[in-house]
Amino acid sequence: MNWQLALPEIFLSCSAMAILMYGVFARPERSFVMSSMLAVGALLLTAMLVLSGTPGVGYNGLFTVDAYSHFAKLLILVAVGLGVVMSLDYAEHANMQRFEFPILMLLAAVGMMLMVSATSLMTLYLGLELMSLSIYVLAAFARDERRSAEAGLKYFVLGALASGLLLYGVSLVYGFSGSMSFAEIGRAMADPKTASPGLTVGIVFIVAGLAFKVSAVPFHMWTPDVYEGAPTPVTAFMGTAPKVAAIVLLVRLLSDPFGALLGQWQQLIVLVSIASMALGSLAAIGQRNIKRLMAYSSIGHMGYALIGLAAGTGAGVRGVLIYMLTYVFMNAGTFACIIAMRRQGRNVEGVSDLSGLGRTDPAMALAIAIFMFSMAGIPPFSGFWGKYFIFTAAVQQGMWLLAVIGVLTSVIGAFYYIRIIKVMYFDEPAPAFDPRPASLSFVVGASGLFTTFFFLFPAPVVAAAEAAAKVLFR
Amino acid sequence: MVEFFTTNPFGILILTVVKALLILGPLLVAVAMMTLAERKIMAAIQLRRGPNVVGPFGLLQPFADAIKMLMKETIIPTGANRTLFLMAPMLTFALAMIAWAVIPVNDGWAIADINVGILYLFAVSSLGVYGIIIAGWASNSKYPFLGALRSAAQMVSYEVSMGFVIVTVLLCVGSMNLNAIVKAQETIWFVIPLFPMAVIFFISTLAETNRSPFDLPEGESEIVAGFFVEYSSMSFALFFLGEYANMFLMAAMTTILFLGGWLAPFGIEPFTWIPGPIWFILKICAVMFVFVWVRATFPRYRYDQLMRLGWKVFLPFSLFYLVLVAGVLLAFGWLPTAA
Amino acid sequence: MIAQLAFYAFAAILLVSAGMVVSARNPVHSVLYLVLAFFNAAALFLLAGAEFLAMILVIVYVGAVAVLFLFVVMMLDINFAQLREGFQRYLPIGATIGVILLVELGIVLGGWSLAPQSAGLRAVPIDPNVTNTVQIGRVLYTDYILLFQASGLVLLVAMIGAIVLTLRDRTSSRHQSIAAQLARTPADTMELLDVPSGVGTKGIGFLRPKVKEPAKVAQDNHGHIGHDNHGGHH
Repeated sequence: MNWQLALPEIFLSCSAMAILMYGVFARPERSFVMSSMLAVGALLLTAMLVLSGTPGVGYNGLFTVDAYSHFAKLLILVAVGLGVVMSLDYAEHANMQRFEFPILMLLAAVGMMLMVSATSLMTLYLGLELMSLSIYVLAAFARDERRSAEAGLKYFVLGALASGLLLYGVSLVYGFSGSMSFAEIGRAMADPKTASPGLTVGIVFIVAGLAFKVSAVPFHMWTPDVYEGAPTPVTAFMGTAPKVAAIVLLVRLLSDPFGALLGQWQQLIVLVSIASMALGSLAAIGQRNIKRLMAYSSIGHMGYALIGLAAGTGAGVRGVLIYMLTYVFMNAGTFACIIAMRRQGRNVEGVSDLSGLGRTDPAMALAIAIFMFSMAGIPPFSGFWGKYFIFTAAVQQGMWLLAVIGVLTSVIGAFYYIRIIKVMYFDEPAPAFDPRPASLSFVVGASGLFTTFFFLFPAPVVAAAEAAAKVLFR
Repeated sequence: MVEFFTTNPFGILILTVVKALLILGPLLVAVAMMTLAERKIMAAIQLRRGPNVVGPFGLLQPFADAIKMLMKETIIPTGANRTLFLMAPMLTFALAMIAWAVIPVNDGWAIADINVGILYLFAVSSLGVYGIIIAGWASNSKYPFLGALRSAAQMVSYEVSMGFVIVTVLLCVGSMNLNAIVKAQETIWFVIPLFPMAVIFFISTLAETNRSPFDLPEGESEIVAGFFVEYSSMSFALFFLGEYANMFLMAAMTTILFLGGWLAPFGIEPFTWIPGPIWFILKICAVMFVFVWVRATFPRYRYDQLMRLGWKVFLPFSLFYLVLVAGVLLAFGWLPTAA
Repeated sequence: MIAQLAFYAFAAILLVSAGMVVSARNPVHSVLYLVLAFFNAAALFLLAGAEFLAMILVIVYVGAVAVLFLFVVMMLDINFAQLREGFQRYLPIGATIGVILLVELGIVLGGWSLAPQSAGLRAVPIDPNVTNTVQIGRVLYTDYILLFQASGLVLLVAMIGAIVLTLRDRTSSRHQSIAAQLARTPADTMELLDVPSGVGTKGIGFLRPKVKEPAKVAQDNHGHIGHDNHGGHH
């Protein structure tokens, strides 16, 4: 048995445990920064292990390494790394610099890596639970703050419900196909005509459970409250890596074992996608709190990503992967700016707090402007290219309606993104923010550069996404 | 005739009942004599005489006590949950008895020689806590309740390290059959290579049977008599018998796991003349003596000390030793082949 | 014949006690019925020849989990009138959903047929040559080692989470430093003096403790102190 397939996961979980031991025995005042640094180091090494890994199927077909999982894992590791860096400064100010914070992030990363490599419903479920459980705890991490505790509890209760739905679906699929392994399920359903209705019901439940994790309508209700209540770095974390993992998992699940049933799940995904795009763009307009606004924005973005899945082709999957890549960087950059919104040591979250930022802190204002333009999908920023690949894939499949709705909602969404830019540059200046710590500047700078200059060198990314999509659609 | 007892269901039933009586009869007598022995040994340690009035050397004292118990009135407190109140002592007593079904007294001499004998013993001993909790709750009185809570936390805590000790022994044997466990000790008793685990196991059995120095559930100086404050007459006697039978059970477990069960020491000439069951009984008596010795010697633990010992000392240590034993067995190729 | 009788007896008791878990008025009785249900489930395992699972069920669920349930339930002061308050109100909607789900299940099961190859698809066919303990070990630690370890990580996260969200360093609580206590000898703490009779303590004066309280030992995060304030008592 080639156990080395899971070497990155094994290494990451072992280093998480090693850092845990370090944190328990180290001096409390230094342990947080040190363990965060160690966590970043572990993530880097894991990324190298992922890069050097060879494709293959292992552990009795439970676990698969291929170009698709490589792409997703690297993206996840980058997103988690950005999350750890972003939390460095915030934790100190919010009095939550406990060494468990980066460790929970690492363990969540292990869960996500398991998810994207899963080729069995059991691996899928365990990875998902490992990820979710870590995030529940992270959401409640500022335990003395009522909002954070509420966010954690809300997320936990609803998440448990979603897990229940997912498990119910898994058990139905197992019962009707006779296997947990993706390959076997795919074989059992090769002919859609003989596939039993029980399977369709099972797929619906599984999709519902995963839609909760990506916060797609109608399973989005928790998103604004949890985004608002959780500590901002945790919100940033929740908005990036887990979304990637869940979307990637959903794509693999629907196009690999359930690929033959495309007709059954396509309408479902189309509906979810349209509803998410509409709600994401309409509900965000009235938001005054920037974290809530970002919550609705993320719902909308998930809607766009699902268009690529609904297309059900290799081009669509390629679009989804590129979209998630650009999304991670825009989102991480925006949240780094939100974390930097601090006056006299207190974090502020109102959109109005940004007024006049263009005059008080031009660099940050420029960065936010870039991210907002990119999220609105305005060329030449990376967000435009993500949407471009998605929409072309939909159009190729003749899904004009979906593409048109996508463009329309993008236009509506652009309204609130551009309103933020207007507030920053044309409103009366509010008092300046506290100086930005270097860690946040780094995240803002890195993601800003990526978002701005993506159009200059898209070839390697597109090629990687193409290769990854080929795994699912040969 | 022999066929009737081995093939006919009713024959098997009759045979099993007879076997059970053969074990339980002597066990109950042993329990009775144990109460006397305990008082005598403690008296000797404390330079007293102990019971010496009823019968020669006070030998009939237990029977006098039994008659006294039978004559008393069973009191059920108002507000007590009647059914559960009466069920608790019966449960304790019954559990202490059924565990003996798998104990091998000699090679193959067990009522039920099952594959997972040691797990059965562990399961039954972990159930003992129910008798106490139910008694404490059903009495509807504060001291019993406190005693019940203490005992629940204590027994669950020590079961964990007991479990690890058992797993260590299983690693060396490669079977969960009690007969096989004893036979594996033909070359050397496990008490020698696994000495630290034997100590942990013995101390855990003290906690598991609520014996001094872990007798906090009774804690007569703090909570009067803990969970059996409200019990009297036969219900009390059942508790009493159950507790002592449990002690015998734990002594038998220690004997089987570490002291080579019915095997004669060293397996050499003069010792092997004595039949196995006698050795088994002698070993149990030795362990029981240590039980009493400990009671007469050590003061009671404080509750936090008890928890600290269980979770922070025994658990990590037994875990470490388990890994060590596994490593040694693997490194030297001594792992028993799976049956 | 006897095995069948036993099966039906255990199954019947299992179902009845499972029903009682839900319907018993007293929560402690509910937990005790739950224990009974576990027991009968273990007995059914035994009848099916899965003796290892049966024993583990008793050890883990009856011996530990249910004890903790009982522990918690006994200490709670549950008001049942209050718990059942919403029952009437939510009954119609709950019943409707229940009926719909039941009908759906019925429809689904109606269209269900066992595929002919299903027996071959079984994940773990039973090997008659080894005891089921060995077999479970093989499946768990060889075939599904990845999942086993992943579940371990899930539990680790649960543990870290429980500690992170609840542990507080209490400076007010007094900790015991066993090492400091054991390191102390009589010579450190006691002084034998010849007190002349009839004088009392006048000639000696009031003696201060001979040893100071041990300095605060920085042990892990809790800041322990060895608290034994009867040093130097004359």
